[in-house]
Amino acid sequence: MNTAATAAPDLGAAMNASIDQAPILHAVDVTKSFTQDGTPTQALKGVSLSVAPGEFVSIVGRSGSGKSTFLSVLSTLLRPDSGQLTYNGFDLTTASEADIDGLRHRDFAVIFQFHYLLPYLTALENTLLPFMRGLKPVSRAQKERARECLERVGLADKGHRLPGQLSGGEQQRVAIARALVKDAQILFADEPTGSLDSATGSTVMELLSQIHKDGLSVVMVTHNEQYASLSDRVVRMADGLVV
Amino acid sequence: MNILTIALRNSRKKWVRTLLLLLVFTLGVVSIVSLNFVSRVVGEGLEKKLVSFGANILVSPISEKLTVSYGGFALGDMLFDVNYLDERDTIARIDAIALRKNISVIAPKLVVMDRVQGMAVAIVGVRFAQEKQLKSYWDVAQGALPGEEPAPAKKAGGGMHAASTPASAHTPPPTPAPTPAPIPAETSPTGLAQAAMAPLGLPKDTYSGNGVLVGSAAAAKLNLKLGDKVPLGKTHMLVTGILAPTGSEDDNVLLADLTFVQNAVGRTGKANFLEVAALCSGCPIEDIVNQLGAALPNVEIKTLRNIVEQRMYSVHFVKRLILSVSLVILLTGCSMVGISMLSAVNERKKEIGILRSLGFSRRAVFSIFFAEAASIGLLAGVVGYLAGFAVSFRILQVLELSEGATLSFEPLHLLATAVILALLTSLASLVPAWKAAAIEPSEALVTL
Ligand SMILES: Nc1ncnc2c1ncn2[C@@H]1O[C@H](COP(=O)(O)OP(=O)(O)OP(=O)(O)O)[C@@H](O)[C@H]1O
Ligand SMILES: [Mg+2]
Repeated sequence: MNTAATAAPDLGAAMNASIDQAPILHAVDVTKSFTQDGTPTQALKGVSLSVAPGEFVSIVGRSGSGKSTFLSVLSTLLRPDSGQLTYNGFDLTTASEADIDGLRHRDFAVIFQFHYLLPYLTALENTLLPFMRGLKPVSRAQKERARECLERVGLADKGHRLPGQLSGGEQQRVAIARALVKDAQILFADEPTGSLDSATGSTVMELLSQIHKDGLSVVMVTHNEQYASLSDRVVRMADGLVV
Repeated sequence: MNILTIALRNSRKKWVRTLLLLLVFTLGVVSIVSLNFVSRVVGEGLEKKLVSFGANILVSPISEKLTVSYGGFALGDMLFDVNYLDERDTIARIDAIALRKNISVIAPKLVVMDRVQGMAVAIVGVRFAQEKQLKSYWDVAQGALPGEEPAPAKKAGGGMHAASTPASAHTPPPTPAPTPAPIPAETSPTGLAQAAMAPLGLPKDTYSGNGVLVGSAAAAKLNLKLGDKVPLGKTHMLVTGILAPTGSEDDNVLLADLTFVQNAVGRTGKANFLEVAALCSGCPIEDIVNQLGAALPNVEIKTLRNIVEQRMYSVHFVKRLILSVSLVILLTGCSMVGISMLSAVNERKKEIGILRSLGFSRRAVFSIFFAEAASIGLLAGVVGYLAGFAVSFRILQVLELSEGATLSFEPLHLLATAVILALLTSLASLVPAWKAAAIEPSEALVTL
C-alpha cells in the first residue's frame, strides 16, 4: 500500500480513521539512551509518531535501529528520557504509576515475539490473566468472554491445555486472545511472527488484520515487508530516528 | 480464580520445592508444638502436685536412718528405729499457733511395713476425710473410699464392702461382716482435735472401719481386687476401693483408716508424721514454719514445695533447650524460603514483566510472592500443629508422663500457630517479593 512514510501526519494513511480525528496516541521528539558497561547508547534520538484511532501502523527497520525501544516507550513499558507522549490527550510522561497500571490494564494490549504465557496456567487461565489482578474472583461473564476470544483465535478446544502442550503458533494465538479479552483500544505487537514459520506467521497476521478491521488501533514492529504492507502506514526507522 | 490462583498454581508446579519448604517448616512447628504440649502437660502435672501439696508442711520426728520414704517422709529403719509423734498432742499444738487460720488440713499418718502375699508393702494409716481434702486429685477407679458409698455407676461388687458402717443393711454380706473387735468405738485421740478444728470447716472423721484403699500400682502388683482380704497384724483389712493412677507415691501403697492401723499394730494414738496444708497460695509459709517450729520443739518441719519446684525447674530447662533448637529449625526454614524465592524471582522475571504489562501493579506482583510464602507457612502451621498434637499424645503415652493431666485440643491455638507461621514465612519473602515488585516490564520482556 503506502510505503512512503514520514513522521509528519500522513494524509494518505488513515483508512479506518478520518483525518480530522485527534490522534489516539501521540509521541513527539522521544529520546532514550541506555548505558551498558559504561558506554552510553542513544537508542532513540528524537522520534515522533501519531496514531489515529483505528489505524494500523507498522514500524520497520534494521536490527538495532530502535524499533523495540520505541514500541516499549509507546506502550508505557519504558519511560523515555525526554519528549512527549500522550494517549487521548492524557500526558503519559508525567502520569502516576497507578494511572499507567490502569491504562495497561484497560486500554493497552501488548504481544511479543515470544508468547510469554505463564507456564503453570492453562490457555484459558492465561487468557483470563488480565482479570486476575486482584482478590476479586473472575466472573462467569469474563470466563465466557475468554472462551470467545480463544474461539476467535481458533483454539476453542484447547483452553484446558498448558502452554507447554501447545505449538508456537498456538501459544502466540493464546497471547493474542489474552490481548483481546480486555477490549483494549490499542494493540502493540513486537515482531509477533518473529519466532514462527511463514505459514503460522500468516495466520497470526491474518488475525491481527481482522482485529484491526474490528476497530482496534495497532502498532506493529516487523522485519517482514509483506506483513508491513498489510498495515495502513509503514514507519521506517534507522539509527534511532524515523526516516 | 483471582490473584491468589497465580501463587497457588506456581507452588503446585514447583511441588518439590514447595514440599521441601513445607517439610522444614512442619518439622519446626511439630517440635515446638509437641514440646509445648508435653511440657505443659508435665508442668501441669507438677503444678497440680504443687497445688495439691499446697504450702504443705511435713511435721515429723527427727530420724537418723534414711532408707524408706513415703510422701517425702523418711521412715528410717521400720523395725527398730522409728520415732513416733503423739497424734493428739501434736495436733493440739499445731492448733494453737497464731497462724492457725491459714491451715486448712492437718493429716496425720502412720506407716506400717508389712508383707502381703510375700511382698513388702507400705500400709499407711490416714484420716480419709482429711486425706481427701489434701489430695483433690484422687480418683477412685473402682469401689469407693473406705466409709463412702461407691458411685452408682461403679456398683459392681463395691456395694457390700464399703458397708463396714452398720447403716448399709440393705446389702447383707454373704459372710459375716468381719468387724473386728480391736476397733474402738470412740474416736478419742483425734476426736478432740477435730472438735477444736470444726469451726474451720473440717469434716469430722467418724470412719474407723477396716476398709482399705489400694494404690493402682500396688493393686496390680499384689493382684488385689475389691472385696479381697489383706492381713494386718492379728486382724485383716478389706479392699473397698482402688485408686486410679495418681503419679504419686500413693500408687504404691495401701491406705487404711489411721485408728484401725494404730490399733492393729498396737500403736494407739501414734503417728509417724503429719502433713499440714496451708489454705492459700502465697501465704506466709515461712512464718507458719517458724511458728510450728516454736510450738513443736525436737520435731522436724519441712516444706514439700522445694522438691517440686526443683523438678519444675528442670522441666523448664529442657523446654528452653528444645525451644531454641526449634527456633533454629524455623530460622533455617526462613532462610530457605528467602533464598529459593530470590532465585525464583530471577527465573520468573519474564512472568513478572507480563503481569506488569497487563496492568498488575507493583503491589499485586509483591502480593503474589508474598501469598506464595504465606500459604506455605499457613499450611505448615496447620499440618505441624496437628502432627505435633499427635506426636505429643504418643510421647506422653510412651513416657507415661502425663501425671494425671490431659491434652486438650484448642482450635484457637491451631489458628494462632498457622497465623504466626504465615507471618514468619511472609517475613522471609519480604526481600524477594520487594525485588520482584521492583522489576520493570521493559527489562524483563523486550528481546534485543
Ligand atoms: N536494555 C538495554 N540496555 C542497553 N542497551 C539497549 C537496551 N535495549 C536496547 N538497547 C540498545 O538500543 C539499541 C536499539 O535497540 P532495539 O532493541 O530498540 O532495536 P531493534 O530495532 O528492536 O532491533 P531488533 O530488530 O534486533 O529487535 C540497540 O543498539 C541496543 O543495543
Ligand atoms: Mg526488537
